[in-house]
Amino acid sequence: MKLKSRLVAGSGLLLSAVLAMTAVVGFDRATAREPEADAPSNVRRLTEAQYRSTIADVFGPDIKVVGRFEPDLRVEGLLAVGTTAVSITPAGLEHYDAIAHGIAAQVTDANHREKLVGCAPNAQDVDGAQCAKSFFARVGPRLYRRALAPAEIRALASAAVSSAKLVGTFDGGLSTVLAGMMTSPEFLFRIDAPGKGGAQVDGYSKASRLSYFLWNTAPDEALLKAAANGALDTPEGLAKEVDRMMASPRLTDGVRAFFADFLRLDDMATLTKDTLLYPAFSPAVAEAAREQTLRTIVDHVVTRDGDYRDLFTSRRFAMTKALGPIYDIPVSKSGWYIHEFPENDPRSGLLTQASLLALHSHPGRTSPTLRGVGTLEILLCQKTPPPPPDVNFSVVQDVNNPTLKTTRERLQAHLTNEQCATCHRATDPIGLALEQFDGAGTFRTTERGDRIDVSGKFERQDFNGAAELGKILRQSPRVSSCLVSSVWRYANGRDPGPADAADVEAMKRRFTDDGYRVTALMRTIALDPEFYAYSRPQPSPEPKRQASQDKKGRNS
Amino acid sequence: MGSLANGYWKQGGVAASLVLVAGMSTAADAPTGARPDVHAFVLSNIWFASPGEPANALPLNDGGVEIFYKSLSPEEQAKYATSDKRQALEQEMARRLGFKIAAPGRSKTPAGIVPGAMLTPEQALEIGALNGFPKGRGKPTYQNRTAAYTSCTNPEDFPALAEGFRTYDGPVAMGMNLDGKVTREDFVGPNGEKGVDNQLWRAFGRVKVFRESGNEAIAKKSFMSMGAPTIVEISDVDDMRNDPQVTVKVYASSDAVTRDPRGQALQRVSYTIIPDRQLQSTTTGSIRDGVLMTEPVDLRLQYKEQIVDAPREIRAARIRAEIREDGTIEGELMGYYSLASIWDLIEQMTQAGANSNQISCPGLRRALDEVADGYMDPKTKKYTAISAAMKFVGVRAFAVMPEQRTAELGS
Repeated sequence: MKLKSRLVAGSGLLLSAVLAMTAVVGFDRATAREPEADAPSNVRRLTEAQYRSTIADVFGPDIKVVGRFEPDLRVEGLLAVGTTAVSITPAGLEHYDAIAHGIAAQVTDANHREKLVGCAPNAQDVDGAQCAKSFFARVGPRLYRRALAPAEIRALASAAVSSAKLVGTFDGGLSTVLAGMMTSPEFLFRIDAPGKGGAQVDGYSKASRLSYFLWNTAPDEALLKAAANGALDTPEGLAKEVDRMMASPRLTDGVRAFFADFLRLDDMATLTKDTLLYPAFSPAVAEAAREQTLRTIVDHVVTRDGDYRDLFTSRRFAMTKALGPIYDIPVSKSGWYIHEFPENDPRSGLLTQASLLALHSHPGRTSPTLRGVGTLEILLCQKTPPPPPDVNFSVVQDVNNPTLKTTRERLQAHLTNEQCATCHRATDPIGLALEQFDGAGTFRTTERGDRIDVSGKFERQDFNGAAELGKILRQSPRVSSCLVSSVWRYANGRDPGPADAADVEAMKRRFTDDGYRVTALMRTIALDPEFYAYSRPQPSPEPKRQASQDKKGRNS
Repeated sequence: MGSLANGYWKQGGVAASLVLVAGMSTAADAPTGARPDVHAFVLSNIWFASPGEPANALPLNDGGVEIFYKSLSPEEQAKYATSDKRQALEQEMARRLGFKIAAPGRSKTPAGIVPGAMLTPEQALEIGALNGFPKGRGKPTYQNRTAAYTSCTNPEDFPALAEGFRTYDGPVAMGMNLDGKVTREDFVGPNGEKGVDNQLWRAFGRVKVFRESGNEAIAKKSFMSMGAPTIVEISDVDDMRNDPQVTVKVYASSDAVTRDPRGQALQRVSYTIIPDRQLQSTTTGSIRDGVLMTEPVDLRLQYKEQIVDAPREIRAARIRAEIREDGTIEGELMGYYSLASIWDLIEQMTQAGANSNQISCPGLRRALDEVADGYMDPKTKKYTAISAAMKFVGVRAFAVMPEQRTAELGS
């Protein structure tokens, strides 16, 4: 029966989905107008997180999404930008197909069908066509994020009835077609359609852009309704919906999604450490550290509506028992809570959180260079070129060097190569300020018996230790400017072109005027007409995109 | 200033200022490294200390099964000679000696007794009366959910199984001079200390399971009572190397010992203490050259391991422990172990546990009664406790009071 089910899918919706994806121009809605090379991308693949949250929204959180996803691609530092640059490979489609069938089987199983399907064939509806129609009329708009024409619903219901005959059960037929829908490009990709005049996307596409930006999930029914009745095409209607969404607890999901992407916290899932050197570090601790950073940020920028820059000096850390050994503090509470480190404590600001400290370290040792590069690239939007290919790292890597006991000493010895020194002079002072935190993020004052020197200079200001560096970063205009650029790029899924420069600069000024509040920035972008542009010719070619260099390859 | 604390605290009086600030600021929680004047340790194992002699230095006692086997005729012995007949041998011993087990629900059950519920001694007698136990015999066992009559619940009824049981007569034992006297029955400590009181080892020293679990190399890697560990907290510490006056609290925790990926106890984990005041004790002590020595205090230590739930009651207990820079602690716990609580431990191992651990319950019980040396009952003129020494190892931890669950942070 299972094989039959797959065959039906393969001969129907799934096959058309495959064909459509292989020839990208096959998308019904995307072909309305061929995108220009320098235009905003109108096709974005759902990220794994967006896929999961969409399924949870449509079918409920108890539906398990099991399977491997096509890896998301980080472009110029953001997965969100990468969503416009990825397709789906044939192997990836198989994975999506398996995931979709797993979901569809749950939706129609005995535990869920009453709530999620809600009807069955009966004397008045012998083959179940009416039931199938009502089901697809309900879930179709949520999955495709637009209204479905009556003919589309009829076609889906008809396919379900035909499938049911082949697989032998009504639920089997319904499940097969539902899986096909979830393997369709209309579900897996956010495909924007042009609105009237073609300058902006249509109402449903606006709803999707808005919802995935603010909530990181598909539009809810209210938003789809606003799209259908044209409310999103008026400034007042758009503002009303944006205000509703900003006031929702789901804004937290959107903020978390941005910062997880911005800070590259997805890398925590695969982060490993030498357990002999860092016995307190484990995959569970890595996950807790990631969660800590996101909860800390949400507490500050959403719950307290705080100044973004204060994240670099704040002593309020979301905390849970699993992180107690890393932070060397007693934790008496059973859930997450806000732990406030006292004045003069070494823990101060995002840079001293275990997630970033561990992420930008090697498995068995710290790396001031990786930490410096990470800070510059992520928080200051400053690119660092990769190291020359012929660099000898042996001095830096020799942690047992009898005379060069500290990492600072070994790095200095490494800088005899002037070609290396140029970049290291920019990156290493930041990383050396964090050297009192080991590769797992635990505080220390000595390295192999020698006291660790954490003094340095950044942006012409002297500092001594991470807390003082955090204060300098807090005051740096580059930090807030980078945040605005990053949120803009995250929202739009691309780098700003020359035509966007004025728009971005205006947002930076507005961000300052709004007291550096991230939620205000998100609102500004959500209300910005440019956010809904369908096509925007750029005066010069789009900057060349390049997938992020593997920062671990930089070494040191 | 505590040398065990993170080196951070040693620098430039920062610790002092932190403590001050932490005390003044209502917003601030614990600083990195926690309070520098408090140092807690979770004990990953507490074991009956062996003096460390070779395993074959003194012959071991037979267990009950071995004694029973030797009592059989040669023909019968041949029938049970191989190891695969061990279970049959134990069943035969139970049959011939009249051991009885009755579980409510599966045996005749008096009205009002719910199967699976904890039994009182009186209820065990009621069950026994319905199920053919000798009159007035039987006790709760198997986590107090089953009534049994065996050589461990009623050792006095099986004197034959005590035959040949020998106490430990070596000269050396762990421990200290608890009573200030040097008598003939005292041991010499491994370091030459005279008058060492450790009559528990005199009773245990030839019992296989205690000899083996007392092997230091094994014991240090083992976890006992892992699901209900003991916490030792030293507070009012000015200097972890030398401090003439510190406060020492002993707690029980409800949190299992957290292990690191290497299988060792993870340092700096927070353990929630059990609010039961019977499981908390406070005493004073001093630290000299990194060695803590406490004043005597009555302790009740939680001890839960598999089917055993037998708190250790140790009177006039003293702790002597070396506190190390690497965040570990290793030491001895010495005092008078109450006979009631130690027999509770043996009893809860059950007859099956005694059989598999080569213990003769009647022999051990008789030895304990004979060599006990502490806290004489003025009425019975019998000692109620026995001098003992246990060793322990542990790692740095935090003892935290139970708090109400906090509201989850948004998302």
